[in-house]
Amino acid sequence: MNWRIRLTWWDKLLIAIMVMAAVMAFVRFTLGIGSIANINNAYPWGWWVGYGIMTMIAIGGVGFTITALVEIFGAHRYHPFLRPAVLMAFLCYSGAIAMLMVELGRPWMVWMILVSWAPTAALFEVGWCAFLYLTVLAIEFAQVPLEEAGWKRPLRVVKLIYIPVMLLGVTLSNLHQSSLGTLMTLIPHKINALWWSDNLPLLFLFSAMMAGPALAILEHLAAARWLGFAPRMDLLAGLARIEAWLVGLFLVFQMGDLFYRGAVGGALSASWLALSFWIEIGFGLLLPLVLLMMPEIRGSRGGLATACALVVFGVLLHRLNVAVIGLRVRHWETYVPSLSEVGITLGITAAAIFVFGVLARILPIHEELPAPQPSVEPAGRPAGAWPRAHGAV
Amino acid sequence: MSTTSTTTKVKPKAMIQDNTRCIGCRACMIACKSWNDRPADHTDFFAGNGYQNPRDLDANNYTLITFNEIVTGPKPDWVFGRQLCMHCEQPACASACPTTAMKKTELGPVVFDVSRCIGCRACMQACPFLIPKYDYENAAPMIHKCTFCSDRLEVGLKPACATVCPTGAISFGDRDDMVAEAKDRIAKAPGTYIPQIYGLDEVGGTSVLHLSSVPFEQIGYITGLPKTPMPDLTHRWLRVTPHVFIFLYTLFAGLMGLIHWRNRGQEHHEEKP
Repeated sequence: MNWRIRLTWWDKLLIAIMVMAAVMAFVRFTLGIGSIANINNAYPWGWWVGYGIMTMIAIGGVGFTITALVEIFGAHRYHPFLRPAVLMAFLCYSGAIAMLMVELGRPWMVWMILVSWAPTAALFEVGWCAFLYLTVLAIEFAQVPLEEAGWKRPLRVVKLIYIPVMLLGVTLSNLHQSSLGTLMTLIPHKINALWWSDNLPLLFLFSAMMAGPALAILEHLAAARWLGFAPRMDLLAGLARIEAWLVGLFLVFQMGDLFYRGAVGGALSASWLALSFWIEIGFGLLLPLVLLMMPEIRGSRGGLATACALVVFGVLLHRLNVAVIGLRVRHWETYVPSLSEVGITLGITAAAIFVFGVLARILPIHEELPAPQPSVEPAGRPAGAWPRAHGAV
Repeated sequence: MSTTSTTTKVKPKAMIQDNTRCIGCRACMIACKSWNDRPADHTDFFAGNGYQNPRDLDANNYTLITFNEIVTGPKPDWVFGRQLCMHCEQPACASACPTTAMKKTELGPVVFDVSRCIGCRACMQACPFLIPKYDYENAAPMIHKCTFCSDRLEVGLKPACATVCPTGAISFGDRDDMVAEAKDRIAKAPGTYIPQIYGLDEVGGTSVLHLSSVPFEQIGYITGLPKTPMPDLTHRWLRVTPHVFIFLYTLFAGLMGLIHWRNRGQEHHEEKP
């Protein structure tokens, strides 16, 4: 384990963002939420919930999707993606919990979720599942530092319980990813018909599954670039193919649900909400689907990065549309997030990226990566690859 | 709330808000403030409903008389409405609360217990009547809403608002009696009332029953709500959760076993995450 890492200016930028967010968080904790945030009585949940919690947890779905792919469905060739995926999921969930501490009015009471049982509440289930799943992720990831440190006995314990714990993690993820949707089914009178559906639990679950491989691909490309190894284009192309299926099926499901509910009229009307809907569908699903179906794109770093970033953006917009943008209460009430609200979420995101970056440099997270032989993708060729060869930072 | 286990079941209470009898004196708003110890606040006129003040409920105002200018005869007239917690029979807020800080009591009130509250504001998001409000400016904020004067009800008193109304627009009693009374009023004076009791079966029934001379949407009420309780929407997903958990865990374990058995003998990576 190499503890000595040199901070790049990227690291310093991330630290600067974290410091800025810490100052805002300090104001929030001393003077109250209202001192820095625009959330109000009509919009009790805003950017913090839409992005900081719902989207963070959705893209944290990278953990259970890649785990299920590799360990349950036996696609062992994707094993190199497993460690980064588990670490990313751990950081996304930690980020969501950090966000929760800022977002909750009385964060010092949060343990009440575990004590004062409320099985009728979707949030109760989300809280329990997320808490347990974070523990599962910690156990799963613990192997890496334990191996490095050479602590044999705890490592043996962790390996012994790995399979049942891993299965528990995948199961819990299915439950709470969908429960976040269940939470929103309670307010059909507030959410626009474009997004409110009886099937929100399934829509949330499937979109989290869709966000998983996309984030895994993005991470791999980013790590290859900044840590300086050759990306496994063969594996990426395979993952991209899976991702195309997920995006396609989700598109069919979401549009089918819209038709089935008879809400197509809303989508065809000339309104800001319809625009937001079509941006979500067009840029978040259709465009990446088309891109991912093209072998040249699947073989190119730039193409893959674009397509997967669009998918992640689409999931973000879906969560925002359901939880914030698509909500309408009294006609005079509005909500636009304040700079401080966005600033704090940026700080949490920066912290997650920073910790990932540091751990990726001191622990063997991408250990298995350097490909033994040149990548061979059946249909594609690394044509659109960035002209610049991979290199050390 | 020492509801000792008496054999006689407590009869749930209810209130009639008869808007046809309301003269807009706002005594109920003042009584509410004084019983619940809410400070007076500086308010302004807004581009809206005439003399109504404030515009909406907030952390300092648990009830509000709305002033609605409506043409009922030869010239426009004020038709009053009232906002307060409806105290649903099956409250969405309580079902959404992850810590049971929001609860429906046997007597009827939906009460808030700050000692359990984590401040997630799910109750505010869930309420179909947009009732719970928050004091965002406070570093230790709380949910604020009408309590149905739960503390008064427990000792046999009426809610504060019901004691001060000078015109009898607010009646209080057992819910069964109140429903009968409301129906009776409509039957006896069909010209005065529209034939609808707001709250009789909205979201499965509420403990506050509103009567009006004009359609409720004209006086700012939220209409078009389902007749079924809101918690049903999430309940049908959440009640199967334990079964889904067992099913999925077994399914994944089975799948994993099956696939590993099929792939046996093939090259295998050493298991590590």
